[in-house]
Amino acid sequence: MLNKKYAYRLELLMIASMVIFAVLIGRMAYLQLYQGDYYYRLSEGNRVRAVKILAPRGIIYDCNGEELVKNEPGFVVSLLRTNKKPDMVVINKLAGIIEVSPEQILEKIKQNEDSYEPIRIKSNLSAAMVTKIEERSEELPGILLELQSIRKYVNNELAVHVLGYVGEVSEYEISKGKNTELKVGSIVGKFGLERYYDNYLRGTDGSYREEVDVAGRVVQTLDELPPKPGQGLVLTVDAKLQREAEKIVDEHLKYLRSSGFAPKANAAAIVAIDPRNGAIKALVSRPGFNPNLFVNGISSKDWQAINDNPFDPMSNKVISGEYPPGSTFKIVTGSAALETGKVTPQEMIFDSGKHWLIPMGNAEGEALGWLNFHKALAASDNVYFYEMGNRVGIDVLKKYAALFGFGKTTGIDLFGENEGIIASPEYKMKVFDEDWYLGDTFNAAIGQGFNLATPIQLAVMLSAVANNGDIYKPHLVEKIVNDDGSVVKEIKPEKIGRLPVSAETLELLQSALKAVAQEGGTAAQMANLSVPVAGKTGTAENPHGKDHGLFVGYAPADNPNLVVVAVIDQGGFGSVSAAPIVQRIFEYVFPPKQPAIVNTQKKQ
Amino acid sequence: MELGRILKRLDYVLLFAVLALTAIGITLIGSATHINLVSEDRYWYVQRQSMFAVFNLIFIFFSLRFDYRLLEDMSKRLYIFNLVMLLAVMFFGHAALGAQRWIQIGPVSIQPSEFSKIIMIVALSAFINKRLDNLDSFWSWFPVFGYVLVPFLLVMKQPDLGTALVFAAILLGLMIICGFKKKFFVRLFGIGVVSAPLLWMVLHDYQKMRLKVFLDPGLEPQGAGYHVIQSMIAIGSGMLTGKGLFSGTQSQLDFLPENHTDFIFAVAGEEFGFIGTTIILLLYLVVIYRGLNIAMNATDDFGTLLATGIVSMFVFHVLVNVGMTAGIMPVTGVPLPFMSYGVSSLTTNMVLIGLLLNINMRQQKLTFK
Repeated sequence: MLNKKYAYRLELLMIASMVIFAVLIGRMAYLQLYQGDYYYRLSEGNRVRAVKILAPRGIIYDCNGEELVKNEPGFVVSLLRTNKKPDMVVINKLAGIIEVSPEQILEKIKQNEDSYEPIRIKSNLSAAMVTKIEERSEELPGILLELQSIRKYVNNELAVHVLGYVGEVSEYEISKGKNTELKVGSIVGKFGLERYYDNYLRGTDGSYREEVDVAGRVVQTLDELPPKPGQGLVLTVDAKLQREAEKIVDEHLKYLRSSGFAPKANAAAIVAIDPRNGAIKALVSRPGFNPNLFVNGISSKDWQAINDNPFDPMSNKVISGEYPPGSTFKIVTGSAALETGKVTPQEMIFDSGKHWLIPMGNAEGEALGWLNFHKALAASDNVYFYEMGNRVGIDVLKKYAALFGFGKTTGIDLFGENEGIIASPEYKMKVFDEDWYLGDTFNAAIGQGFNLATPIQLAVMLSAVANNGDIYKPHLVEKIVNDDGSVVKEIKPEKIGRLPVSAETLELLQSALKAVAQEGGTAAQMANLSVPVAGKTGTAENPHGKDHGLFVGYAPADNPNLVVVAVIDQGGFGSVSAAPIVQRIFEYVFPPKQPAIVNTQKKQ
Repeated sequence: MELGRILKRLDYVLLFAVLALTAIGITLIGSATHINLVSEDRYWYVQRQSMFAVFNLIFIFFSLRFDYRLLEDMSKRLYIFNLVMLLAVMFFGHAALGAQRWIQIGPVSIQPSEFSKIIMIVALSAFINKRLDNLDSFWSWFPVFGYVLVPFLLVMKQPDLGTALVFAAILLGLMIICGFKKKFFVRLFGIGVVSAPLLWMVLHDYQKMRLKVFLDPGLEPQGAGYHVIQSMIAIGSGMLTGKGLFSGTQSQLDFLPENHTDFIFAVAGEEFGFIGTTIILLLYLVVIYRGLNIAMNATDDFGTLLATGIVSMFVFHVLVNVGMTAGIMPVTGVPLPFMSYGVSSLTTNMVLIGLLLNINMRQQKLTFK
């Protein structure tokens, strides 16, 4: 009998079976208990994949409704998530087509390791790239072309420092606590208004969920959450004026360089603002750059060109450039002296070419003789204002400078604004560890020395003078609108203070500034404009090169609705470098009165 | 044998384990075929499987009246019938899923290779039983090998690697119980190694691919490897207690391929969890234990051989099927006994259980020590 003779063999079979079942149960324990969480997650990811529908960013319009920034459809190439390792053959092929190194693609994949969404590899593909990917789609499993709206700056460089640009959020930014709600690679505003109003412009991405299998094949679409488009901005900026201002600035800078008057005049800051409410009508910073370069990740060549430019195209010099205010500061010094009663409008002071306490005089050494306040400001006499500084003292001067808005940011709706510096003994001691001398007060009184101001501070200061003392916060955005045009938020003019001067003083200042642009003033060439202009030239000493030229002005002088400030870096005398720019802007805004053509036609 | 004695001598433990597995299987087939969703044919699979389970049970009860020893005399005829049937599949069968395995007889498609498993167990047991006294030398086994090789090659040709390997497993079980010496196994292994490249040449491309994929599931994630990955996800995601009946996302959303047939165990793993898979595997172990017990207590060598062959087949089926769903065995079309949907497979397995019960009924009273 077999089962007697080989009973042990039957037992052996039983033991072998038990071992086999122990292995199977062990395998189950491994899959279901030890790795259960992992497989559970896979099965969840397997089932439902959230696909983002990118919200289009808000459109940016100028004050007349002209589109300055819009969105254009573009293609983005993505890699589908799978639970296997990326196929290097596919990655290498794709890298060749989209001109990105395979390492960069792997880096992107690594950054998005935890996500089940398709990984965006490259945005805004060229038409040739799209065609190639489509043609070779069979060789590129898991590679997906998606439609994506691409930011488009309609006028390229125009108003770049106002508009800014967008870019992808970097891992670094997220790790630094910025945009923590976003994923690496999401598009956010990086500069200018795009950044300042990013929360409004960005909108909320929508999504739909689709059931997919592990190979990324869609089983069914579940539900859809439509994206909420970003809100648009209506700017205070007038694109036509902006365009004209940029043209004027570029032409004049070119002229300054080519004429040999100021060979290094490459950088400039011009701002035009409505003094009645702080609305900025134009803002130019030079040099500029094309924001479209940044939209899809700037090429290293373009980046190098911008980065190596010694005049720093990326800085908005209107808000971050700090220049000695020069003679424009005499408005402050004069106000302080008048308000504190250290001088009367009528008092005559003699300019012999040099001040009697310290031998400091006018830039060209000229002597202007007997001067009252009005004449001294119109002619920008240094000796007169040295004396004013001498009389009021540095502490009062400091106080007035602060009340005129110097030494603190204006609160414009842009990031990166600088505070400037108000000259003071404390500052000198702190930074240079030196005592304060009367000469320092003299320098401070005419806006040289330690004083530093940003062009926007000068614009706000002059606006207040033009606007009879009321200080308005400068702003670039008039209202925020929904994509259907309805208004979300209106940005009302915000009065942030009042000049500490009496109506009489203001009147005197205004009349003296008007005289600047008249026969005998430092900007007499403006006397021929169709409207009277008030203003002040300035020339800021620059220890590193040629002096900076400044001009601040407003028009019409009697009922001002536009303040223009121009600062030409290393432009030399303000009357030559800066004043002509302001003049041409006023000429554009207030064109010379035409002969009555209509009437003559009627007569014929 | 009259009914009273039949009922008295039934191996109720074995019967219970088999019925439990069949019931669990039918439940899971229901889940895998969306019985919970409204559709015209949602009961079709469950109805058919249940119907055949009942038919088979009735058939078993009737068959218990006849002594299994009668089969020994029929074995030669059965063997020839088997060869004819397999040849018929080659010429008249219709193909499905890359293999020509079915013959249409009236309204039912039958899979002859399933039934040939029964015939192989019976015929081989009878063939060996006749030569039991002459199997001491290595070469004396070669007629036995040849006896298996003919149907083995025919099934391979279908191609049905799974069934062919079942034949090999049955042979192996019988070799063990017949005292095939250890040194013979070493020799046989040597021959196997030498002839392996030859076997590789015989394999179909898709079979080669499956073996390659088994070695590296990432190789073809959208094809054969895809099945294994999905199956492992299904089982693993069940964790300890499972997602609940009808709640397995892998099977309900059809990520799992062939989920009511070859991959039914993955549905069990996903919906019933580790507790469920362990209970199922232990039920199979009960079947095997009772089967070997019957082999041990059989009153004649034919009964011992039959029971051993049957147990070997079950062990092989469970190992290969569960191993496949768990990613530790290559993908071969081997169904899970009693649980996978398929009336041919279910009938075969029930008939084999009927044979075990039959042997048990006519055994001497001795227990497995």
